[in-house]
Amino acid sequence: MSTIAPKFRLGYFIKSLLDNIFWIIILLTLIGIPAIQVALFFIDLPVIDGELLTPFLALTWLADPSRTLPIVKTLMQTDFFKIAVFPGFGFAALLAAGTIFIERKLLAKLQLRVGPFYCGKIEGILQLMGDGLKLISKEIIIPAKADKPIFWVAPLLFVGTAAAFIALIPVSPGWVIADLDVGLLAFFAIIGFFPIITVLSSWSANSKFPFIGGIRALHQMVSFEIPLILSLLGIVILTGSLNLSEIVESQYNFPWIIFMPIGAIVFFIAMLAELERIPFDLPEAESEIVAGWLTEFSGMMYGLVQLGSYLKLYAFAALFVVLFLGGWNGPMIIPQFPQEIITDGIELGPISVTIPGLPLFTPEMLNGTFWFTIKTVSVIFFILIPRGVFPRIRIDLLLHIGWYKLIGLAFVNIFISLSLLYAGVLGPGGMML
Amino acid sequence: MADITFVMISVFTVGCAIASLELRSLIYGSISLMGSLLGIAFFFLLLDSPFVAMFQVAVYVGSIAVLILFTVMLVKRELIFNKIEDPKRKYAGLVLMLVLITGMGSVIIDSGLKSVDTNTTPIDFGEIGEDFLTYYWPALIIMALILSSSITGALVLARREDIENEQHSD
Repeated sequence: MSTIAPKFRLGYFIKSLLDNIFWIIILLTLIGIPAIQVALFFIDLPVIDGELLTPFLALTWLADPSRTLPIVKTLMQTDFFKIAVFPGFGFAALLAAGTIFIERKLLAKLQLRVGPFYCGKIEGILQLMGDGLKLISKEIIIPAKADKPIFWVAPLLFVGTAAAFIALIPVSPGWVIADLDVGLLAFFAIIGFFPIITVLSSWSANSKFPFIGGIRALHQMVSFEIPLILSLLGIVILTGSLNLSEIVESQYNFPWIIFMPIGAIVFFIAMLAELERIPFDLPEAESEIVAGWLTEFSGMMYGLVQLGSYLKLYAFAALFVVLFLGGWNGPMIIPQFPQEIITDGIELGPISVTIPGLPLFTPEMLNGTFWFTIKTVSVIFFILIPRGVFPRIRIDLLLHIGWYKLIGLAFVNIFISLSLLYAGVLGPGGMML
Repeated sequence: MADITFVMISVFTVGCAIASLELRSLIYGSISLMGSLLGIAFFFLLLDSPFVAMFQVAVYVGSIAVLILFTVMLVKRELIFNKIEDPKRKYAGLVLMLVLITGMGSVIIDSGLKSVDTNTTPIDFGEIGEDFLTYYWPALIIMALILSSSITGALVLARREDIENEQHSD
């Protein structure tokens, strides 16, 4: 039972909602519908196909699936749908939100705690919604001596850059927002923006803990970008393409992690450092420098930075899947859409309805999305687990790992892929492509 | 349509370049330098060469601008706002700029740029790579040697044995 609102019961809340719905229905039938009828006397209704478009006819059209499904299907082909809903923001934000909740519960279980528990009836499932409401309703406090324009813009830029990263990820065949010929290079260009935004926001807060965190983030991100980029060159050499969709298609038989395990390990470690995850979370080391470069952010600005960092986590995990684990490739498990529904229509007892525009999704797309999601979620799981296991490492050890060991291993990976290419095993003109 | 885009990008790039020189705050100056470098990347996109544009963003905005920002932030705060003004320098700079613009402009206009066919297909970056490995291979090898020697030199210079021995002794 909550101590803040001791009288609160979920039953009372639902009862008040039902009361409100009851009164809305009563008022609508007694006042609303007569008012609409009176208003219809004075309005000239349009005539479409020789029929007067009364409100009843319009409602019938809206409820008719044979008229609405083609509209929905056209809508799904638009860029807006791709950016806002499926391979884009909606899908990524859903996975990111799930990641936040799973992370908190998983860490709690690893450390023999309970974790989020009271918000929502089952295992604190509504905790995320509660946190979001809290962040939105909190006041945004800006330090008096902060550089205000940069400080305001930095969280927005952070989310924007993470979203630009997501735009490059191919989720299933043809479902990608920006299918660039130089997709991998665009990825290199985009991750270059994160240290700039971090260091600018930490400088603009004009406070010592953010600045220390920002300088740490800059060191860490700039030095781990190099092994990150070098570890991917082997794939580019063997695939002969920078297009991410083509890289996925090239892994139809085998994912690249089989031939380049060293590259995958280097990419994974560099990815942890770029994401500022434990054991590389020096930029926001909460036990040393308050919250690092996030110290002065409050309210929804903090929420935006958190959203951006979890979107970035999803994007990096998805990129790992695309480059090393074969992306959407996997055994076909989704059954084919029954052909007689398209030709004969749906039969429900005495009536049979033919609905144009079915099926909404091809089985290939559903299958690709399924395998992509499974793989991405498991990679996210492997990103989360070190947080419960490892301590934070020292910054000189971190830079030492980055500059000496990972770069060396990345070059070893490049030589392995070159030898595979020149031995004629893989690559353009090789056995498997 | 491309003309409007071209004009907007030009205004953005030149405006950012002027701002990066004229702004009193060094941080804002380096941000506008970043803007002008981004504008040049947009020009490469307009010229149908996304490969060069992405490298422009990755190298100039992603690395060089970070380097400049980092250096500026290590400068003392009083020095950032310190004003050094010399009217003679300003006029000399203006004259130098005019000379450069007329010289380079005359060279560019005279170079047959007007007769370039603009409807050709964009150059594939695979061809650039092939050219590098066949016709320009000595240049590639010299560049690789210079880069690797400079990286080795940087690593040697950055290595401090006293600190390293202290840390690895335990």
